[in-house]
Amino acid sequence: MLAQINQLADPIGAIIGFLLTLMVLSYIIGDNVLFRLAVSIFIGVASGYAAVLILYNVIWYQVLVPIFQIFSTGKLEGLPTYAIHVFPAVILGFWMITKLTPRLSRWGTPVLAFLTGVGAATVLAGAVRGTIFPQVGASVNMLNIQTAPTELGNIVGWFINGLIVLIGTATTLIYFQFGARRQEEGVPARRSVVLDYLSTAGQGFIAVTLGVLFAGVYLATLSALIDRVQFLWDTISRFF
Amino acid sequence: MTDIICPLCGKPNPEELDECQYCQAPLKVAGFIASPEDQEDFSQIFPPSPDQAGEEDQDTQPESPPPSEQSIPDWLKQTEASFLKPSEPEPEELSSEQLSEQIDALINLPSTPAEPQKSAIDDEWLTSLLSEAGAIESIPEGEVLLERAVETGEETSTPAGEETTQEEEEPPAVPAERPAWLTNLEASSNIKLDGGMQPSEVPEPEEQEASVEETGVPGASEHVEIPDWISKVSFEEVPPEPKEPEPPIEPAEIPGWLEALRPSEEATPTAPVEDVSAADVVTAGPLVGLRGVISAHPSAIQARKPPTYSIKLRVTEEQRARVQMMEELLAEEQKPKPPTSKRIITSQNIFRLAIALVLILPIVWMIIAKSQQSPLPQPANYPGVIDFFQQVQQLPAGAPVLVAFDYEPGFSGEMNSAVSTLLSQLMAKNTYLTLVTTAPSGVALAESLVKDAGTGLAGSLSSYPYYTDLGYLPGGTMGLLGLASSPKTVLPYSLEGIDVWASAPLNTVSSVTDFGAVIVITNDPDTARAWIEQVGPVLRAEDGPILMVTSSQAEPLIRPYYEASPSQVQGMVAGLAGGQAYSRAVGRQPQNGVWDAFSMGVTVSILIILIGGIISMVFMLQASARKRED
Repeated sequence: MLAQINQLADPIGAIIGFLLTLMVLSYIIGDNVLFRLAVSIFIGVASGYAAVLILYNVIWYQVLVPIFQIFSTGKLEGLPTYAIHVFPAVILGFWMITKLTPRLSRWGTPVLAFLTGVGAATVLAGAVRGTIFPQVGASVNMLNIQTAPTELGNIVGWFINGLIVLIGTATTLIYFQFGARRQEEGVPARRSVVLDYLSTAGQGFIAVTLGVLFAGVYLATLSALIDRVQFLWDTISRFF
Repeated sequence: MTDIICPLCGKPNPEELDECQYCQAPLKVAGFIASPEDQEDFSQIFPPSPDQAGEEDQDTQPESPPPSEQSIPDWLKQTEASFLKPSEPEPEELSSEQLSEQIDALINLPSTPAEPQKSAIDDEWLTSLLSEAGAIESIPEGEVLLERAVETGEETSTPAGEETTQEEEEPPAVPAERPAWLTNLEASSNIKLDGGMQPSEVPEPEEQEASVEETGVPGASEHVEIPDWISKVSFEEVPPEPKEPEPPIEPAEIPGWLEALRPSEEATPTAPVEDVSAADVVTAGPLVGLRGVISAHPSAIQARKPPTYSIKLRVTEEQRARVQMMEELLAEEQKPKPPTSKRIITSQNIFRLAIALVLILPIVWMIIAKSQQSPLPQPANYPGVIDFFQQVQQLPAGAPVLVAFDYEPGFSGEMNSAVSTLLSQLMAKNTYLTLVTTAPSGVALAESLVKDAGTGLAGSLSSYPYYTDLGYLPGGTMGLLGLASSPKTVLPYSLEGIDVWASAPLNTVSSVTDFGAVIVITNDPDTARAWIEQVGPVLRAEDGPILMVTSSQAEPLIRPYYEASPSQVQGMVAGLAGGQAYSRAVGRQPQNGVWDAFSMGVTVSILIILIGGIISMVFMLQASARKRED
């Protein structure tokens, strides 16, 4: 029976996927009921799936099963580890339930503050260690002669690449420099002409960066379209 | 009943009150109207001044007003008459004999007890008057001094002997010349300072008694009884007391509240005096004649009944029309508007549909035809692909590898090519796949892809057995940090509920660095950065590789980490093109026409952008030309 269901699940899933894909593609002719229905189905299924996954994968296997196994097997040496790593999280998790009701909402504020503070500290520390210091060092080493290639043709490319990175970094930082020296009374403060030109160059680098990002998004979307067209054709060719 | 007007607040009070019922000021002492009885009391308390006595004498002879009275203005006479008339008792006329006796008693004071004589010359004005007239010569100087000492309570500081010496040394008294004012006063009065008096002008005895009582000269009356203690006092009985130093008068202690009420001497009016010359003159009430003050006349402060105003709003026709218009507007706003029927076939929809067809039809054609016209991209043209391939290829056989499926199913068309190739390469090396995800949908994706890759691996009919799915990793960034330090604590069981950390090969893993490689598959640049920032430093400390399979949209943000020196990402495959290049590097040649469709789609997109840009520029030039013509 289960094997038969498994055999039927694939074609049924393919048909459902085919229909939902057509409903989403109907947005080409504008907003319509089919598109909104497909979006609603997707949101509902995704929420339900996430809830089941958290209950099954987190609450059950990471909170309840360990404590059951400790007492069922009699291996009490795992109890201190559980009490240190899991029990505080369980307490804080139940404490967060107070946020569900407006009457008890303020009691959950300390937990929220704890989570926010720890999260912010984690992100900041990671950004400093993993992004700021390494990336500043990498930008400095772009024109390090010790890292230059030995071939003459590669040296030119290496130098041009490093120069572009250097100019792009400097001019982009200058673009975000909005300070200006105060001039005579009544004359509006303006940046110097040199800074204006460098700022314009930085603006050009920012525009190129945003264009590249948009191109990447467009390519990802085009890839998704091709995947859906291929899925539709595969489904059609499968059943017809 | 006569009301008494308070001199302080100017309000009328019943005459039976002694104090003002409004301001508590005494009424009977300084009020404007007083009863006769009260006036007698007042005369005992406040003896009239000589001027008043003279005026009373003059009132007895209204037929011939003295010259001094002629100088008094009429308004003052009227005011005085109005105040004094109701309570002024009718003066009794004295006979000429009684008046002469009084004058004689005043001039020829008896030598008996000091008290009557003291009373006779009690006032200094009378003493000086008599001295000027020469009538006081008979009064011994010692008695005068004694009387003054008794009157003022002062101690006689001069001994009798010294007085006698001074009297001897002084020249004999010479009658002083009579001043002009005294001559006029004598001429206008019945009293003659030389003792004579005209018989026809002698006052009645009753008047004399009244005047004596009012002047406070009890010595002139025979009915006045002299106290015994005064009669015992004589000039000879006063012993010459030695002059003793008078103890200094100690300053009295002023209470705090009285000190606070004392006006400050330093406080001087700084504000300029107001010029009230142009102000109105009060014509009624107790402040009549004053300028620049608020009249206290009852008519000036008379309370009036406040006027009544109608609460009915007067609205003109124009205002009524505006109100009606506003009400109609509000009523229209509350009515639900029927949805406007949108036209499906519009120029914009047609244009959008045309672009979709131009883009989709070539793609559909390439997919249907399974076109293989375009060559697959070269791995060397895509940075990171070769490094990625080499890193996977260098993994030892059977080594545990942590693979994170952190991408959304919507990006499966772009990512699945590279992921399928990656899984097949890993399975070919028999690595132990440890699947984990920070996205809820990644769990199902991982299971599906691993099963698909294992099924199609080298004609195998069963799924790949060397893997475990740890499932969802909660906590986001903090969960990643915990995974980097102690994966066993964060994810103790697999999705099947098995303690995978107790058996090989994960029993040797205590940190993320114990994995042969960490491969992150994500379409989100933030997720990729979180892995690099939280897990990357731990891996770099042990030279553990971290590899990335990303979407095209995340590539520009992940590339700097790969191209950094030293690199933070040891290899990366980005987008569909990177996946195709990686497949080519591995040796897989997909025959589904996807790469041709992708190439055609990109080409069509570029053409659409170019044509649209040219058309937009033409329209812009035409608009600018029209502006120039205008």
